[in-house]
Amino acid sequence: MTAKGNQGGSNNMAAFKDKEKPMHVRQSNITAAKSVADAIRTSLGPKGMDKMIQSGNGDVTITNDGATILKQMQVLHPAAKMLVELSKAQDIEAGDGTTTVVVIAGSLLDAASRLLLKGIHPTIISEAFEKAATKSVEILTGMAIPVQLSDRDSLLKSATTSLSSKVVSQHSSLLSPLAVDAVMKVIDPAVAVNVDLRDIKIIKKLGGTVDDTELIDGLCLDAKASGSGPHRMEKAKVGLVQFCISPPKTDMENNVIVSDYAQMDRILREERQYILNIVKQIKKVGCNVLFIQKSILRDALSDLGEHFLGKMKIMVVKDIEREDIEFICKSLGCKPIASLDHFTPEMLGSAELVEEVQLGSGKAVKVTGVAIPGRTVSIVVRGSNKLVLDEAERSIHDALCVIRCLVKKRALIAGGGAPEIEISMRLAEYANTLSGLEQYCFREFAGALEVIPYTLAENAGLHPVSTVTELRHRHSLGEKTAGINVRKGAITNILEENVVQPLLVSTSAITLAAETVRSIMKIDDIVNTH
Amino acid sequence: MVSLQPVSIFRPGAEEEKGETARLSAFVGAIAIGDLIKSTLGPKGMDKILQSMDPHKGIQVTNDGATILKAIGVDNPAAKVLVDISKVQDDEVGDGTTSVTVLACELLREAELLIGQKLHPQTIIAGWRRSSDEAVRALTAAAVDNSSNPEKFREDLMNIARTTLSSKILTQQKDQFSKLAVDAVMRLKGSCNLEAIQIIKKLGGRLSDSYLDEGFLLDKKVGVNQPKRIEKARILIANTAMDADKIKVFGSRVKVDSVAKVAELELAEKEKMKEKVNKILKHNCTVFINRQLIYNYPEQLFADAGVMAIEHADFEGVERLALVTGGEIVSTFDNPEKVKLGYCDLIEEVMIGEDVLLKFSGVALGEACTIVLRGATQQILDEAERSLHDALCVLSQTVKETRIVFGGGCSEMLMAHAVNELASKTPGKEAIAMESFAKALRQLPIIIADNAGFDSAELISQLRAAHAQGQNKAGLEMNEGQVGDMQKLGITESFQVKRQVVLSASEAAEMILRVDDIIRAAPRRRGQDNRPC
Repeated sequence: MTAKGNQGGSNNMAAFKDKEKPMHVRQSNITAAKSVADAIRTSLGPKGMDKMIQSGNGDVTITNDGATILKQMQVLHPAAKMLVELSKAQDIEAGDGTTTVVVIAGSLLDAASRLLLKGIHPTIISEAFEKAATKSVEILTGMAIPVQLSDRDSLLKSATTSLSSKVVSQHSSLLSPLAVDAVMKVIDPAVAVNVDLRDIKIIKKLGGTVDDTELIDGLCLDAKASGSGPHRMEKAKVGLVQFCISPPKTDMENNVIVSDYAQMDRILREERQYILNIVKQIKKVGCNVLFIQKSILRDALSDLGEHFLGKMKIMVVKDIEREDIEFICKSLGCKPIASLDHFTPEMLGSAELVEEVQLGSGKAVKVTGVAIPGRTVSIVVRGSNKLVLDEAERSIHDALCVIRCLVKKRALIAGGGAPEIEISMRLAEYANTLSGLEQYCFREFAGALEVIPYTLAENAGLHPVSTVTELRHRHSLGEKTAGINVRKGAITNILEENVVQPLLVSTSAITLAAETVRSIMKIDDIVNTH
Repeated sequence: MVSLQPVSIFRPGAEEEKGETARLSAFVGAIAIGDLIKSTLGPKGMDKILQSMDPHKGIQVTNDGATILKAIGVDNPAAKVLVDISKVQDDEVGDGTTSVTVLACELLREAELLIGQKLHPQTIIAGWRRSSDEAVRALTAAAVDNSSNPEKFREDLMNIARTTLSSKILTQQKDQFSKLAVDAVMRLKGSCNLEAIQIIKKLGGRLSDSYLDEGFLLDKKVGVNQPKRIEKARILIANTAMDADKIKVFGSRVKVDSVAKVAELELAEKEKMKEKVNKILKHNCTVFINRQLIYNYPEQLFADAGVMAIEHADFEGVERLALVTGGEIVSTFDNPEKVKLGYCDLIEEVMIGEDVLLKFSGVALGEACTIVLRGATQQILDEAERSLHDALCVLSQTVKETRIVFGGGCSEMLMAHAVNELASKTPGKEAIAMESFAKALRQLPIIIADNAGFDSAELISQLRAAHAQGQNKAGLEMNEGQVGDMQKLGITESFQVKRQVVLSASEAAEMILRVDDIIRAAPRRRGQDNRPC
């Protein structure tokens, strides 16, 4: 057998020359994916800009969140679609860093196209990138600072960092404690390994400013108390009913045949009696706040029922969605009641106060002081216009995700481009220990990661090249935490500036980006199907 | 006077291609298909994007020959035959879908040359038949059977899985996924019921976060207020409507003369429901899973009884659940003693990514298991599922037919060598056909080397020389681009797959070669549309 092929000396190792069509396909894929990355590059970092997106039906969204921008962009090119999916996956996995992951992927593709031009086979590039990504995760893990969930300060810092790039950044002093408190409320810090964000209900209400956003320990529902009943109830006994308080209706079609006037009168009376019976039973049990599930088959609550309930001084909130039932049960410690026979005191939940509050133009029902609180919270987000409101909600979601990442993997790393430049340098060093084509690919991978500090500096209006070189210099002196201080426009120890991010965000950004780039590299043809 | 007009025996619109033209169009179609998927072959083969004409449908990224061929619509009859054999290969053995198509295409390419040399198609076919017999004989002789030694057999299985996965997206994690696949197949204990292996795809995480879980996962939620964790569960699986049982006659309705009676009727319906629930509870089950919706009232009744009730489980989920827990799907509840309940040790909620799923562990069918796949994009997940499915198919085939052969072009060269030997002993024109068969077989390693960007002519001549010298384990090592010992490198393939590839490819090529006339029936004329619009 001949000598090892990839030493480059032997003659059976001709440089990889692609056939014409696959080369075009690959280039077109890379170009398309890169242009997606370029489109959202400017929204990276604390000085990143927002994008205004107008959808086909005229709706306008203004956002800084990579995943949202890409979702709205509706790209057509298949490779570009994969980047959109990539940012979605990062959203699921980490929740934050959705812009970062796409920017990294774009830069990696750029590196890959340079490698392809040099005649390196795509599968070799793909393999090397996988190894480089694994190595990067190792380096990152080595840099990480372990954090305890009891360390509220660190949690606050990372939430603030995540919020700093958003439109609501000036409210981060309010929003980051809110995010930390919300997550801490729904988990048991000692044993939790994951957070179900569905336990945190976010309600958007137009009006007020972002400053008025509040965390409600208890439950807040986007509904209003109906009818003539009370709109505020202290020492509430809450019943959650799934049956209807309206004239009876069978599953089969039914006709009531009326033959004369007296009979009509009787029917009306019977109907009244029927509803009164239900209401009386409710009153007897001691329930004074009633949540009624929406029904599509018939009126959940007839006008007559509403009138009776009002007279009995029972507060009524109707049109509760079936999906919300579980959440309400969990929050209030009550049980849903599906038939009148089950309407017993032990099914009720109790709370200090249930009240309807006016929030801007809309109303909401707040339940506080729950006797047996469940592990749920509600957040009411306020904003002066719809666009700010939507963006505030997304930002809070990101901040919650950041805290969730810390629950999943309890480690922090410095922000401000410090980890990327560190990986880039260490990978380049490591590459020297490798031989063959792999070394080359590692170098390009390392170079590609510099895109993050470069873009950060660029977006902040600093001179990108001089900033990145300065940063690299500082890191080579051993200052692992030196990063770009956007506020001062200089390179400083970024930990002192309290710019930290969860380890999971960075690691998953690099691994997911590398995985997607690898799968794009392996494509050599686009086939149209019927 | 005889008319010079040709006699037309077909209806207008029908077409006929004859003799040379027919053959040419068959060759062209088949070769085009082969060339299309050629580049996906081998460990360094590339993927293809399948883009649907419908912009709302997503895209697929795949390396699987059968998937690509299924997606493209072909009009050429010969091309259709090739698409069909790849489908059959997929159904039959699950893997080698690309190989079989490429081999058939290469055979036809050779046949075209032979026909150019004025060889009769039937002579070529006769030669091919003898060649394929000889090839299979040589393959059988070279096959290794390690089934008597469980440890070695497992190693074989691992190698086969690795070889299969090495051409797919999972190549970087092939060790992990081979282990996953082998573990899953070994759990089946010889039965080839791949139904018992469930694959769940969840976006997020990376491929290496995928894992094998014993038991079964159901993507559903427990009803409100019901126990979320049940040990030693007795499971009743049902497909029944849980609203009131209605008379299924259209237009049936009740007529009453007062509201009180409507209320009574409503109550009666409710009672009926309660009765049904009581009947179900009589089965003494602790878990009730229904394919249809369970409404609020029955849900509450179940909650009162402390029974976990799961509504709206999808059909596939229910079938599989019945299989793995050993229960029956029932829709009437009159004979509790006759109904077989499913059983499992523990049901609990688990969280994967952002979703909550129900996990059934310790199920009656101990073979059952679930593979949870994680990945960065939907395309990666889909492709990972297809790759894993291929690996599982091959492995379960190997468990049945335990013989293995060597991969990396080794088996092809071996067969080509044997066919060549025979050809040199055969007098007559058939020998030429047999040589062409050997040449077509040799094309497979050439394509593998070409896809990896190596100098195929050099490599193949080395490989050929090695086989001529009796090194019948020599094959291509595609990481370094050299000839290596396949046994040492652990590149093995299932005997069953290889044999199937040779047999069905030569059969398909033969079938296409026999054609000398293509008749396209006239499209059915549509009657005039007289409907008002």
